[in-house]
Amino acid sequence: MNIKVTSVMVTDQARALQFYTEVLGFVKKTDIPLGEHSWLTVVAPDERDGVELLLEPLGFAPARTYQQALFEAGIPLATFNVADVQREYERLLALGVRFSMPPTPMGAVTLAVLDDTCGNYIQLVQV
Amino acid sequence: MSSYYQQELHRLRAIVFPHAHRRQQVLQARQFIEAHYAEPIGLPDVAAAAGCSRFHFLRLFRQYYGRTPHQYLTTVRLREARRLLLAGASATEACFAVGFDSVSSFTALFRQQMGCPPRTFAVRAGQKSNFGEAPRPEAADSCAQNASL
Repeated sequence: MNIKVTSVMVTDQARALQFYTEVLGFVKKTDIPLGEHSWLTVVAPDERDGVELLLEPLGFAPARTYQQALFEAGIPLATFNVADVQREYERLLALGVRFSMPPTPMGAVTLAVLDDTCGNYIQLVQV
Repeated sequence: MSSYYQQELHRLRAIVFPHAHRRQQVLQARQFIEAHYAEPIGLPDVAAAAGCSRFHFLRLFRQYYGRTPHQYLTTVRLREARRLLLAGASATEACFAVGFDSVSSFTALFRQQMGCPPRTFAVRAGQKSNFGEAPRPEAADSCAQNASL
C-alpha cells in the first residue's frame, strides 16, 4: 500500500486549477471528465510521478461545513514542502496571495499559511 | 487579529520550544550533517558543531526532529545515494560516495528503507516517468513509494 493521491476540497475546480498551477506552480497531471466535475489532479513540477493532489469538488454539503469550520479557525487543510519558505512567501505575496501567517519558526521548521482562494488555508513548511 | 491556529501554534511553541537559541544549535548541527555526510562523522563532531555536550545534544536533536542525529545522517546519506543512483552511479560508487563503508550494509539498509535493492531502484525509476523527461531523485517509483524517508 502506498499514498498516490491526496486531496483538497475546492469550491470551483477551474479556479482552483488556475491558482494551483499559475500561482503555486504545480502542473496538471490528470483531467478526466466525470459529469459535472472532473477527476482533476496536479503534481509538483519536479516530482511529476510523485503524489498527486486531487482538486476535489465540494459536492457533499457537510464537507462544506467542515471546510468552513477549518477556514474560520485558520487551520490549514494541507501542507506543502518548500525549500525556502521566506523566498516562497515573498514570491507569492508579489503575485497577490494572501497569507494568514507569515513565515514563523516552530521547532526546527518554519511555517507559513496562505489562502488558496478556494476555501482553504494551505501551510508551507521548510524543514 | 491572529487565528485560532496561530494562537495554538504560538502557545505550543512557548511550551515545547521555549529557548530560541536551541533552535539555532539544532539547525547548526543539521547544516553540519548536510555538509559533511560523506565523511566519517560521529556524534562528537555533530555535537561540537552545535556547541553543546553529546548528551545534551542528543536529547535536543530528538526533541526537535523526533529522531537521533545518526538516524538523520542515515536519511541524508540514503537521499544522496538515490540521487547518485539515478544519475547512473553503481551501487558501490553510491555507497562509498555518501559515506557508507560497507556495500552489503548499504544494500541491506537501502532495501529496508526503499523496498528494493539500489540497482532495481534505479532501473524502475528510469522506466517510470510518463512526462517524457529524465528521471529525478524524487521520482516516485514503486520503491520510493514504500520509503519512509
